[in-house]
Amino acid sequence: MADLWEELTSVFRMVFDNPKIVIDEKTVASDIVGWDSFSHMNLIAAIEQHFNVEFSLSEAVNFQDVGELMETLQKKRTS
Amino acid sequence: MNNMLKFPNNNIGYLCSDMQVELGRGNKVAFKWISESMENHDYTYADLKESSNRTANILSRYGLKSRDNIMFLLPRLPNLFFFFLGALKVGANSCILFTSIGDESLKDRIIETQTHFIVTTTKFLFKLENLFDDSLYILNIIVIDDNQKTKNRIGILDELLSAGVDFKTTPTCMDHNSHFHFTSGSTGKPKAVQHVHGSAENHLSSFLEVIQPSEDEVYWCTADPGWVTGVSYGIIAPCLYGLTQIQFSGNFNSSKWMQIIENFNVNIIYSAPTVFRIMMQYEDSFFSPYNLTNLKRIYSVGEPLNPVIIEWGKRIFGKEILDTWFQTETGSIMIAMRPGLEIRYGSMGKPLSNVSAQILDDNGQVIINNQKGLLCIKKTWPSMFTSYINHPDIYKNKFLGEYYSSGDIAYKDDDGYFWFVGRNDDVINTAGHLISPFEVESALLEIPEITDAGVVGVPDDLLYEKVVAYIVLRGDIKMTSTLNLKIKLYIAQKISSIASPREIRTTTSIPKTKSGKIMRRLLKNQYLQLDFGDISTLEIENG
Repeated sequence: MADLWEELTSVFRMVFDNPKIVIDEKTVASDIVGWDSFSHMNLIAAIEQHFNVEFSLSEAVNFQDVGELMETLQKKRTS
Repeated sequence: MNNMLKFPNNNIGYLCSDMQVELGRGNKVAFKWISESMENHDYTYADLKESSNRTANILSRYGLKSRDNIMFLLPRLPNLFFFFLGALKVGANSCILFTSIGDESLKDRIIETQTHFIVTTTKFLFKLENLFDDSLYILNIIVIDDNQKTKNRIGILDELLSAGVDFKTTPTCMDHNSHFHFTSGSTGKPKAVQHVHGSAENHLSSFLEVIQPSEDEVYWCTADPGWVTGVSYGIIAPCLYGLTQIQFSGNFNSSKWMQIIENFNVNIIYSAPTVFRIMMQYEDSFFSPYNLTNLKRIYSVGEPLNPVIIEWGKRIFGKEILDTWFQTETGSIMIAMRPGLEIRYGSMGKPLSNVSAQILDDNGQVIINNQKGLLCIKKTWPSMFTSYINHPDIYKNKFLGEYYSSGDIAYKDDDGYFWFVGRNDDVINTAGHLISPFEVESALLEIPEITDAGVVGVPDDLLYEKVVAYIVLRGDIKMTSTLNLKIKLYIAQKISSIASPREIRTTTSIPKTKSGKIMRRLLKNQYLQLDFGDISTLEIENG
């Protein structure tokens, strides 16, 4: 689990070009510089590629915070 | 308008705060601030006056003077508004940046406008601290959420609470520079569009004529303050009128937006077609649980409003969505549908009462009704841009005799309604943001795997247009999902996430004219699988 958080953090850092990004379950878009509707699609693409998973459109746009994103990601990896 | 005329000082910072208190609105809520987690805090006009005075005092203390340029790289928080108005009170020339701005775009904008003050938070420091070699360019970075002070970094957290609440606003004449925005053309880098304090007159008059608010209504302009709409109609106009408005810190989210409209009794919303198109993807039943009956009027700006969106709006909200048209350069709404005007689906509406709009040909001659031509506005009007900073020739070229030429192609029908047709250049309108294909192409060529690139905007169901990049890969390099992502992230980090191509296609060559100009029309036709049309100027390789 800790590894997964580390990996997800590394994806966030790559997408938003900021090595200092720290995420947790409560992190929301306004906590991360540059996380807007446009960069969100790049983030999803990067997560899909890194973890070799695919998000449906509704999954991609509906999570409220990183905790929900992680939950969806975990389900996909175990299914 | 009449209220403004009573006051000799037309400084926008003063008009939006102090004047409202003097008119007896001190206890009226100016902003209902809603965080991304949906927590709410109200700020009155008295708060707005005091807080903007504090920020004006702080900015003055650290050397900001009248006519200096200052930028704001801040999230959409109350302090953004306090600092924007505070800087205006100092007499400084203010610019709110999109927070998603890429590093190089940020640097270009600072240098282009010779801006030496920027207000930000610690979150954004990683973008700023290594932007310049201190010995070559002095950038005073004012950080609002800590107290650290180094050579160019000025932490002011404690001072935000202790600074004086009285400030004597710098008197400004009508043509005193107030704020600037950046906008893209089809060539070169984005230009800084300059506005003046006198523009307030148009902000208010257009607000009254189009939005038609009443004192007790709640208004919500959803536009980002980095965009001209977010400043003209998200800060200035509603404050000039003394209205209560919503400000939401989060990104677009359909559920949260419906909750806000319902819970905060929003009466008027001003948004964009892309937002409506995203909402249209939901089943009608999604909206059923929300009580949206207080919503009286809905306005749209930034992209053409398709009739299907208006029909959807009527079904969901019981109201027709009203289109408005203006540009960064015009500063305020020029043409609009509005209450009292017969609605024609798909039309931009009619010019406002103090606006003279015409359809002209390339020589500046008026074109007869129902024929396509350049949409032009007769100069001058108070909110008309006064320059592209450092680009007087480009500014001059935007005028056809007595008319400002918008670059939009449109026609006027026999009843005086205007209908948008398209652009007369290659500028891409994606979700209301103008993107320069040249700027994206230039950045693409910096990626080692790419030897040539052409960028076009193509129709998109959600974004109106999406950015599509055609690239030629070096040697035997093949396109992979990794490279695809690398390219998108490179553009996002260098220019902005908005400019990041939604689609990347590889090709063996980019069509160019014999003089080397990219024939984007051909790329677009290729994408749309249309006839190539006239290709007599096409350079045929090895031909």
